[in-house]
Amino acid sequence: MVSRRGFLRSGGLALMGVGLMGGIPGFLAEAVAGEQLINPYGKRKVLVCIFQRGAMDGLMAVTPFTDEYLKAARPNLFMSAAKTGTGASLIDLDGHYGLHPSMQAFEPMFREKRLGIVHGIGSPNNTRSHFDAQDYMESGTPFNKGTASGWLNRAVGLLGHDAITPFTAVSLTSAMPRSFYGDNPTVSISNLQDFAIQMRGNPGAANMAAKSFEDLYDKTSTGLLHDTGKESFDAVKMLQKADVKNYKPANNVVYPTSALGNSLKQIAQLIKMEVGMEVAFTESNGWDTHYSQGTDNGIFARNVGDLSSSMMAFWNDLSAYQDDVTVMTMTEFGRTVHQNGTGGTDHGRASCNFILGNNVNGGLVHGKMQPLANENLEDGRDLAVTTDFRSVFSEVADRQLKVTNNRVLFPDWKGEKIGVMRA
Amino acid sequence: MKTGLSRFYCAIAVLFILFGFSAFYTGQLGYKDVPKFPYKSKGLTEREAAAHLLSRFTYGATPGQVDEVVKTGLEKWFAQQLEARQPDDSLKQLLKDFDAVKLSTEQIITKYPRPFQVTRMMIRDSVVNKDSIRSDRKEYRDLINNYMQQHGMVAEQELYRQFINQKVLRAAYTQNQLQEVMTDFWFNHFNVSITKNQCAVFIPTYERDVIRPNVFGKFGNLLLATAKSPAMLIYLDNSSSSGDNAAPAKPNNTQAKPKADAQPGMGMAMEGSSMMMGNTMAMVAPKPQPKKNGAGLNENYAREVMELHTLGVDGGYTQNDVTQAARVLTGWTIYPMGDEGYGYMRKLQERFSADRLKEQGYVHDGEFLFTANRHDRGQKTVLGKQFGPDGGYQEGVDLLNMLAHHQSTAKFITRKLAVRFVSDNPPQSLLNKMVKTFNEKDGDIKEVLITMVSAPEFWSKTSVREKTKSPFELAIGAVRTLHADIQQPYQLYTWINRMGEKKYYYQAPTGFPDKGQYWINTGSLLNRMNFGLALASGRIPGVNVNLMALNQNHEPESAQAALTTYSKLIMPERNLSETIKRLTPMLNDPQLMDKVAAASAQNKPAANPSTASNNVMMKGTVTDTLRDKALKNNTYMAMQAKGVNKNMLSQVVGVIIGSPEFQRR
Repeated sequence: MVSRRGFLRSGGLALMGVGLMGGIPGFLAEAVAGEQLINPYGKRKVLVCIFQRGAMDGLMAVTPFTDEYLKAARPNLFMSAAKTGTGASLIDLDGHYGLHPSMQAFEPMFREKRLGIVHGIGSPNNTRSHFDAQDYMESGTPFNKGTASGWLNRAVGLLGHDAITPFTAVSLTSAMPRSFYGDNPTVSISNLQDFAIQMRGNPGAANMAAKSFEDLYDKTSTGLLHDTGKESFDAVKMLQKADVKNYKPANNVVYPTSALGNSLKQIAQLIKMEVGMEVAFTESNGWDTHYSQGTDNGIFARNVGDLSSSMMAFWNDLSAYQDDVTVMTMTEFGRTVHQNGTGGTDHGRASCNFILGNNVNGGLVHGKMQPLANENLEDGRDLAVTTDFRSVFSEVADRQLKVTNNRVLFPDWKGEKIGVMRA
Repeated sequence: MKTGLSRFYCAIAVLFILFGFSAFYTGQLGYKDVPKFPYKSKGLTEREAAAHLLSRFTYGATPGQVDEVVKTGLEKWFAQQLEARQPDDSLKQLLKDFDAVKLSTEQIITKYPRPFQVTRMMIRDSVVNKDSIRSDRKEYRDLINNYMQQHGMVAEQELYRQFINQKVLRAAYTQNQLQEVMTDFWFNHFNVSITKNQCAVFIPTYERDVIRPNVFGKFGNLLLATAKSPAMLIYLDNSSSSGDNAAPAKPNNTQAKPKADAQPGMGMAMEGSSMMMGNTMAMVAPKPQPKKNGAGLNENYAREVMELHTLGVDGGYTQNDVTQAARVLTGWTIYPMGDEGYGYMRKLQERFSADRLKEQGYVHDGEFLFTANRHDRGQKTVLGKQFGPDGGYQEGVDLLNMLAHHQSTAKFITRKLAVRFVSDNPPQSLLNKMVKTFNEKDGDIKEVLITMVSAPEFWSKTSVREKTKSPFELAIGAVRTLHADIQQPYQLYTWINRMGEKKYYYQAPTGFPDKGQYWINTGSLLNRMNFGLALASGRIPGVNVNLMALNQNHEPESAQAALTTYSKLIMPERNLSETIKRLTPMLNDPQLMDKVAAASAQNKPAANPSTASNNVMMKGTVTDTLRDKALKNNTYMAMQAKGVNKNMLSQVVGVIIGSPEFQRR
């Protein structure tokens, strides 16, 4: 399998070269048809996942503002949708749910039915440990710690073609995320500019070293080192051609200068470079708001402001590529219905997530939520999980990437879809 | 007082180690017990065999080490490594300032509290009001810093920094290389992760006290030690597992009867599962509590101890065995330590006298506690063997003992060792020999290693150079082979992360996969090359190399000579003709001199005026033909040699470190 993949990698690249020179020769075209070979470097459907680490308070992001129980449980945190004199009010989505005012960037997308929200989403495992809950969500097996692979890595394995490029699955993080663990090739990189042979202040010597390395890997190694060496230098050349350093976003978009904004900008670059990327991953931190969470101002407002502005900058920058991309957020759990004694909220159960894309069944808050009376709360304190995260993840992955084998993607899951994507 | 105390602990530790070692080694293996290695039959010379030995059982040969091993004798060298008693004075000198890694677990907990614990203490001491905590405000952070300073506390990041620094130094400089390599192997096998905040603080002592002293002992001892360690108990949640069938502890007298909310064990479950969670939650806010979700059976450890630590995933157990094993292990938890965060069990001990607890089957062993009242007293059956009823602590010991001696375990463990030390696909004939030894010698790891290295398969040409170095092995190997002076170990660690091995932060209990395919991908491979260039050119801060000294300060006569000399220094006893051949054009590329010289001129504009002007002259007036002629005559080399030698040399060495040949071991 490795050798086949290796062959296809180099073969595919050669094809692209031939293609550029003016048409694929007949015998090759036949081979392409026979083998169902596709150009590995090309435009693809892309799933972009954003993990909000620390557990987002879904009840503050998307508030059931008509719920009197919530209002009572959160005397200092509750916001209403009514326009009053003081402070900003929620953006009324449907007469029941209100979007946090700092996420106004999302409103037009929701109205255009490109943004869907799932409320009450979470894990069947009721751990309230960040570590465990993230681990389970990323491995996709909520009751099994020993699962070696992450769900997005398995998704790569199910793409249904062997045209894997160095950029098929990219995580814009400094370390490989749990979601990407596994046997299928993935790469994590915090900055695309690092994807080069580097000698600071001495580009000439760097080029020289790069040439030597390329030759060495080509001629003095075999198998894995040889093939990966070749891919590496192909990748370097592609990035060089694209001039990532001087990237100008489309539509005069200005990304937030946050870590998330920066990551999404680089993901947009990769998408537009058409380097065969199909899965992208990045993360957003700081959601563990035990203290002074704030309402329309403060930590939480800043976080959701960054999330929505970064995602919308990304979306607008994509312009012509919007049809090919779906963005999905996720967080390990939600937070307590009641505010705590320090102006924040503690670890809870269900939260909400956002799905953005032209194939999303948008303009709706999916999922079920009962009135937040104590008797309806999970363990007497938390928003109950009514939608298993695997239901949403598998539906989005299926619709976006044609990853249909749920038994592999989520081995213990055989549940139903809830229709977050358009058929 | 404090230092006196820590001296006391050190003395205890030293005594413990001495006893531990003497118990293992007295009257045991001498080097004569290591059979002659059969490398000749596989066509290796003694020097090639020594180089192979070093590539597998150290982090890489230092210059001249092949000669040393040949002189000592290969078998004797290996026996010495198994004894792990080589003097390490210079390493000790380097580590003397790392106070954090010498402390006991309890001292560590006290000195390096988790942030939420500090907050709680500050509220208790009325330093802050619980309503005015603003962790995003500078004044508040200053308040925390002052408070910690006044109370002799240090941010926990400092603990991990020291821990990682000492690891890098130890790997690079210890004379007992195999012990450190094996420490990595077993740590990874029994992986725990700093990413899990609750167990992070226990990890430095886990490696030091649980893993390192046991790396050459009986597998069963190592298994039991990890099972009872706080790091593992928390990482895989067994500390919060309790049985449905548990009997409540009987108090000393009726007055002392605990209230329902202080039910022994219940609090501990909270500690493990929710309160210890990287946050400052419930303890400052008496809000509706979660159902004590730890107060029930947790199967995580029971599953992984079979799947990952002993039998292997196809080792023949069922889900029912997992559940039953989890019941056997209920009540295995950590002993309360420190003033903060572990108070529930302390309360329990205040209510119940030590004798009373012992009588009821409680077992306190160092940092481990068996809480009889949370143990499922019913009968269980695991893999057909019966445990209990009412077997208490001993049930768990018997279970682990059974697992350690299971046939599947012998196969699983010996295969993993062979994959680590021989090849990614070790031959079955070798595995059979190792399994036999594992069985006959009661899982004695030392004996299994001897069987492995004495087998012809170990020396086969299909094994030599077949392993891909992990990023850690690559980085440490490079600094060893270049005799680098490491002033800032963390800088190396940062590079190791970048190459894809964030040591101690691997999230899953599987540990890092030990195969080339995992380590080699496009991003990581480029970073390996960049690492070579950065290291050789002295651009890793606090990691200094002196390439001239490496060659006894002989200045290479030509670029070609440098290439040959340094390739052989860095990769002894290998056939490097192809690598050298491929690198030669780089040296002969007329642009090299220009570029390297230009860089040198740029870096030191005043230092080498003659080089700079030569360079200008070359660029401006010398035709290609002339330059070719100059190259052939070597005059160009000679002319440039004095000025740019160092830069050229570092470029050559950097490319060698990043070359495919150096990625293999």
